[in-house]
Parts: sequence; structure tokens; C-alpha cells
Amino acid sequence: MERDLIMNLKIMVVDDEVDLEPLIRQKFRRQIRDGIYDFVFAHNGLEALAKLIEQPEIRLILSDINMPEMDGLTLLTKLKELKSPWLKTVIVSAYGDMENIRTAMNRGAFDFLTKPISFDDLEITINKTLEEINMIWQSTREHDQLVSIQQDLQTAREIQQAILPKTFPPYPERSDFSIYASMIAAKEVGGDFFDFFMIDNDHLGFVIGDVSGKGVPAAIFMAVSRTLIRATGIKGISASECMGYVNRLLCNESVSSMFVSVFYGILNTMTGSIEYVNAGHNPPFIISDGNVIKLEMTEGIILGCMDDFDFSSKKVHLNIGDKLYLYTDGVTEAFDLKSELFGEPRLLSFLTSKGSGSVVDLVKDSFAEVAEYSKGAPQSDDITLLAICYNGNGKD
Amino acid sequence: MNIKVETLNEIKIASIDGRIDSTNSGEFEKPIIKTIDDGCLKMIVDCSGLNYISSSGLRVFLAAQKKMKALSGTLLLCGLQPAIKEVFDIAGFSLIFKVFPERDSALNSLSQ
Repeated sequence: MERDLIMNLKIMVVDDEVDLEPLIRQKFRRQIRDGIYDFVFAHNGLEALAKLIEQPEIRLILSDINMPEMDGLTLLTKLKELKSPWLKTVIVSAYGDMENIRTAMNRGAFDFLTKPISFDDLEITINKTLEEINMIWQSTREHDQLVSIQQDLQTAREIQQAILPKTFPPYPERSDFSIYASMIAAKEVGGDFFDFFMIDNDHLGFVIGDVSGKGVPAAIFMAVSRTLIRATGIKGISASECMGYVNRLLCNESVSSMFVSVFYGILNTMTGSIEYVNAGHNPPFIISDGNVIKLEMTEGIILGCMDDFDFSSKKVHLNIGDKLYLYTDGVTEAFDLKSELFGEPRLLSFLTSKGSGSVVDLVKDSFAEVAEYSKGAPQSDDITLLAICYNGNGKD
Repeated sequence: MNIKVETLNEIKIASIDGRIDSTNSGEFEKPIIKTIDDGCLKMIVDCSGLNYISSSGLRVFLAAQKKMKALSGTLLLCGLQPAIKEVFDIAGFSLIFKVFPERDSALNSLSQ
């Protein structure tokens, strides 16, 4: 459908007076020549309806009241049934015929003119009506655009969810570790992500990240970050080299000072040892035998702001049954109705009491705990959780 | 959130009160970036009234610092509450920003 503002207005004049046509063509000859107005003529209500079906681009109807076959008031009733928001009718009536004018207005006429028609007044009325039609036209267009953006957002959400791993367990044939993760975006699309991939048979790369801000800009930056980390990490280079390389690339991409905090680790599934780099992310927790320990930070900085930064890594060892619990600040910074934060102490005590179950239960129960805490308050940030349990290589 | 910008000789001091999150980071960004765009080369952001900052807020700090660096100006922070300091430390911002305990020590550093 054409969506530009209407520059060429098609007007239908409905009147049984045949002399009116040459008169109007004469009075508005300049506008007709310049293509501003285009006139169509009908001589009663029925003919008017037929022409309207033939020429749906008619926007304004100028109708007499007393006509054979179908009068102007009946025509108005029929037009109302069409429910076209940008078809306006102006009624022409004898001066002082207030009863018919009121009836016409009540049946949806936009305005009225009185006979004998003043052509100056007619032109003012036509232009006023055109303004109104254009306003409706424009708001309809804006509404359509909004609907289209919302559909795009929904598609973006599906794409975003699709690039995150979603099949669990991801490696059903492996018993040496179990992993589970989930992300809930605060808006349609989010800036959080998680990912994991086998670098080789004995090394699992895993990552959690949080892009500054939310919504579409964050989602695009998230997709770029996640793809770069996966493509780089899967080559089998060290965690610190991987972060350094991805950081340099992201610095080139970071147009509006966007950045991403990332925790990247490589689990050696033979030994349980993890090499990790913390690039500005909340330190994860290790749950071991009912104790919850915050992982030591590495000297790091968020990715995307200092291209020459040299990342260093640290190592930690998971015993059989130990779990690593990674989260984004949407967990600790979930608000309740009194604007109180969920906070790290609450998370710690939750992990201490509920940390002994499977990784699936751990992640699901965490979401439930946060949801229960912030009950009624809107989710202010994306929430992402990733948990890994080391089960041993079966050879010890 | 409230932001107030004062002038002390050629130094601009922006004091922030309240929370900066994704809903209001734009309100925080505008006056900060405008101050730099207007030619300020010495700026202190006094964070003593700041009690929460999300990553959207950190992004504004980073954008301001990048702009200042490009103009060879100086942007200092002061008065970070412990929770805010921790957020800055985790993000590695302590490597990019000079942070002073309170406003006077930041001012002293600028007048040297």
C-alpha cells in the first residue's frame, strides 16, 4: 500500500445537479492542471458507492442531501459501514437546514457546507479535510512501523536464543562433567550470553558474558562477542591469548564505548584443572563439599576498551563433585519491590544451603530464588547462569 | 538520579546522587559529554552520592574517559562508595581511571 502523504487528493462530488461538474472543473482548473485535486462525479448515492468501489483512492466525498435513488444521509450510513479511517465526507445542505445537518454529523459527516456553495469556503474545507486525512494516514503508518519493529524484535529474540546452546545435556555420551546454563533477558533481546564448546576431546571451553546496556545495541554486540570468543577459543590457544585477541578485535568494533565483561575458562576434563581469565566479570563461585569459595580474580579489564591490555590467567583445580557457578550481575542486582538488591551475601547463603544438587537443579533453583525475591518488581537486567560439575575421568 | 555541574576556575566538578542504570544513563551521559564538548579539559566526577551503577552507567564513564583522553584532558573520580568501588575494580576500571578518596585530594592533584 502506498504510504506517502497524500499530495494528489481525489474528491468525489455527489449531486444530482448536472451543471455542478463544469462549474467545479472551471473553478478548480488550476489545481486540477497541477495535479493537486482530481474530481470524480456521481449523481446519487448508489452511483457514488459504485464509483467508490471502482476507485478506492477517493479520499473525500462532497455530497448533497436530497438526491434520487439514494439520498446523502443514506449514503453516509453506507459509508460508515466501510470503516475507512481516511475517507471523509462533507455534506452540502440548504442554509438553515439544521435538522439534516445534525443528522449528517451524527452519521459521521466530517463537516458541512451550505448552499449556495462559496468556492473559497469549499477550498478551505477541502484543505482542512486533507490535513486531517494526512494526519490519520501518518499515524497509521507509524503504527504499522511500530508493529513491524516489534515483529523484528521478536525475530531477533529467536535468533539470539538460537545462537545460545540449548540442548541439554549437550554431550550425553560424556560422564566426566555435566554442564547446564540459561539466560533470561529483561527486554525482548539481551546483552548477556553464555557458550561452551569442546576444544579437543579433553578440553571444554566455557564462557559467560555481559554487554553494557540492554536491548538491540547490546544484543548485536553480544552476538559479535560470543562469535569471536567461540571462533578464537576453539583453535585451542590459551585462555589469556584468546581474551587478548578477542579484546583487540572488539576494541575496533566498539563504536559507542560498548564493552563486555567476560569470564572465560578451559576445563581439562582429564585432570579437573581450569585455566581461566576474568575480563571484568563477577568472580564465579566454587561449590566444594558444602563450602562456597569465591574464585580469585585475575588482573583483567572488560573487553572493548583497552586494546593493548595483556591478560593473565590463573588456574584452579576441581575435585570430583566440585561445581563451578558462573553468573551475571542480573542475579545479585535483582531488585525487590523496596528497591533492595538481592546481593552477594544472599547468593552465597543460597549456594551454601542449596548447592549440593545437580547442575540443572542448581541453575533452575537459582532462577526461582531470584524470581521469588524480586516478586512483583520488574526484571531490571538480563540474568544468566552457567554451572559445571566435574565428575572425574573414571580412571582415578 | 541527580547530577549537578559546578565550575571552579577551569575545573568542572560533576556531582552525582542516586542510581545510574539503563533507564537513566542517558540523563547522566548528556551533561557529562556536553561539558567535555564545551571545551572542559579538567573534570572531576564526585561519586560520593552515587549508590548504584549498572553496566550502562559504566559505559558513560568509559565514553567520557575516551573523549577526554583524545583531547589530552584529565578526568578524575572521587568519593566512590565501597560497593561502587568494587564494581569499578571488577570491571578493571581502576586501570583506566584515577580515583581519589575525596574531592579535595582530586582538586589538589589537578592544581599541581
